Amino acid sequence: MRPSARQEPEKTRAGRITTLLGAMLCLVRTVGISAATVSVTVQGTDGHPVPGAVITVYSLLGEGHPSAPVHAVMDQVNRAFAPDLLVIPVGSSVEFPNSDSVSHQIYSFSPAKRFQLPLYRGKPYPPERFEQAGVVTLGCNIHDEMLAYLVVTDAPFFGRTDVAGTWTTEIPRGKYRVAVWHPRMRDDSTELDRELTVGEGDRASLTLRLAKPLRPAPLGERPHSWDAY
Amino acid sequence: MGLRRRPVTRCGAVLLLTCATTVACAADWELDLDLRLLTSDGQKSALDGGPGALRFGEADSGLQPGRLRFAFTQALGELWAVHVDASSWGDHEKNPIDLTEAFLQYRPYPFDGLRARVKAGAFYAPISLENRAAGWESPYTLSASAINSWVAEELRTVGVEGQLEWLGTRLGHDFDLSLTGAVFGWNDPAGTIMAEHGFMLDDRQSTLFGRVGPPGATSQAPQLFHEIDGRPGVYAGVEARYYDRIVVRALRYDNRADPSAVDATLQEFAWLTRFNSAGVRYEGASGWTAISQWLDGETYIQPGATRLGWPFDAKFLLLSRRFGAHTLSARYDRFQVRFESNGANDSTPQDGHAWTVAYAFTPSARWRFTLEWVSVASASSTRQSYGLPPGMLTERKLELAVRCALGPALE
Repeated sequence: MRPSARQEPEKTRAGRITTLLGAMLCLVRTVGISAATVSVTVQGTDGHPVPGAVITVYSLLGEGHPSAPVHAVMDQVNRAFAPDLLVIPVGSSVEFPNSDSVSHQIYSFSPAKRFQLPLYRGKPYPPERFEQAGVVTLGCNIHDEMLAYLVVTDAPFFGRTDVAGTWTTEIPRGKYRVAVWHPRMRDDSTELDRELTVGEGDRASLTLRLAKPLRPAPLGERPHSWDAY
Repeated sequence: MGLRRRPVTRCGAVLLLTCATTVACAADWELDLDLRLLTSDGQKSALDGGPGALRFGEADSGLQPGRLRFAFTQALGELWAVHVDASSWGDHEKNPIDLTEAFLQYRPYPFDGLRARVKAGAFYAPISLENRAAGWESPYTLSASAINSWVAEELRTVGVEGQLEWLGTRLGHDFDLSLTGAVFGWNDPAGTIMAEHGFMLDDRQSTLFGRVGPPGATSQAPQLFHEIDGRPGVYAGVEARYYDRIVVRALRYDNRADPSAVDATLQEFAWLTRFNSAGVRYEGASGWTAISQWLDGETYIQPGATRLGWPFDAKFLLLSRRFGAHTLSARYDRFQVRFESNGANDSTPQDGHAWTVAYAFTPSARWRFTLEWVSVASASSTRQSYGLPPGMLTERKLELAVRCALGPALE
């Protein structure tokens, strides 16, 4: 599991306990059960790496538990969300400050979480909590070019692919389902699900190749974190 | 142009500008100054009361003011905003500064992937695919196409427009779709310039309270935005977008004027103007843009038993390539105006085509330098009223524009 750099564990007592339990579980996983290094690579239809894809890994044999909720921050800087994509465990909360000199509004009409933050600057609103797994698409009703995603997941392991299209993590031996999602992906994400057995040996790897070309990247001068392909 | 425009007190514009300046302290505002250096072999412009199809004729060669523009947008609470766009064109405009657009907009939050928007005031109908920069300017050329030059001259929605948009791309689909409809008034004289002069290629936008024409001809220029018959006009349009790559638009416009109605004070007919408009714009990741628009309609009046009609049509294709801060564009325009008496085709008052080539350098949001060459070849019977031969004539212009913009709206 590799949480985003902007995510911080919740400072509540319950959060601290959950985080502690999570850490202990991790320790058990890595030391007691012994873990292997797993790398997942995502490729486009032409074989080129796809950076910025979200990888979620679900246990099929009961190893691992949903990750502990975190407290994350998604800022608004220069009329763009920063970061523009967060992967957070179910139950996490996200704060949406606005560091711009202009006001923004945030809205989501995604089934996983519908909400609005009326016109604001600074940090006037408490964090929003995300209790349901799914993709939440965020926009600003004034600046249409502003776009961000929150991927709320109940997977025990998750992360995003790097510039080489690869995400690497430590996972206990076992049997898993690996899923991929990308904001510009046309493939039905369930069709790309793969089983992965992490057995004896120190390393396991999986390459997922998209069956359909990605949707076109926006033409704006400031690409999103998922536009590098 | 030699047509009438009623003198209108400049109080309205000045008052609005004063309000604008006051409110602008807390608003997103922009101030642009645009100067031109040009050489032209064109005839005296129709905007100055001549038959020329360009904004600047031969006598205008040299240094000319292009446009002084002040615009502001102010949010009013959560979902409302007001936008005011005022310009000074440095010609014989009756008001030194006047409005090109002024409207109130209501834009609630999207709901289930649908978003509504309502505009009320005076604004452009969604026709042009090239006039996409602030102040309804084109980022590709100085002179708009024949179609959009006419839109800028004679059309303004003074009324209410509603739009319903389906945000398909935010729902994981490939398309966004929107439907637009409007009810408007004060556009009964639309068609006057088309019938009198035909198409032009220029960047001069008519103002809401203004008048264009030769010096001292205040009573000889048409008042464009004026209600004559009390019948509201309507238009309805549809737009589809494939991400930000392809936009397709279609619009049906009918000002529903009573062609036999006359304003006795202004001695002006209500011109029944109807047209279909369609266009497509493609933008590629390599910096290429292609725009094509088509317009086909007619305008007519009916003094007594005779129905006098001017069917018109125009189309253009623009190709543009951006290299960082540099943009090279070329456009070909084709346009024609015919004349019918009681439905029988009598003549072709205007038939022409034009080539436009432009280079724009935009080093920052503040500065823009544009060099444009335009060549308009047209046969026009309007020239006969000036004692000139109506046959095919080519008017050319080479123009350098330097624009400096200020204000927080640029950030």
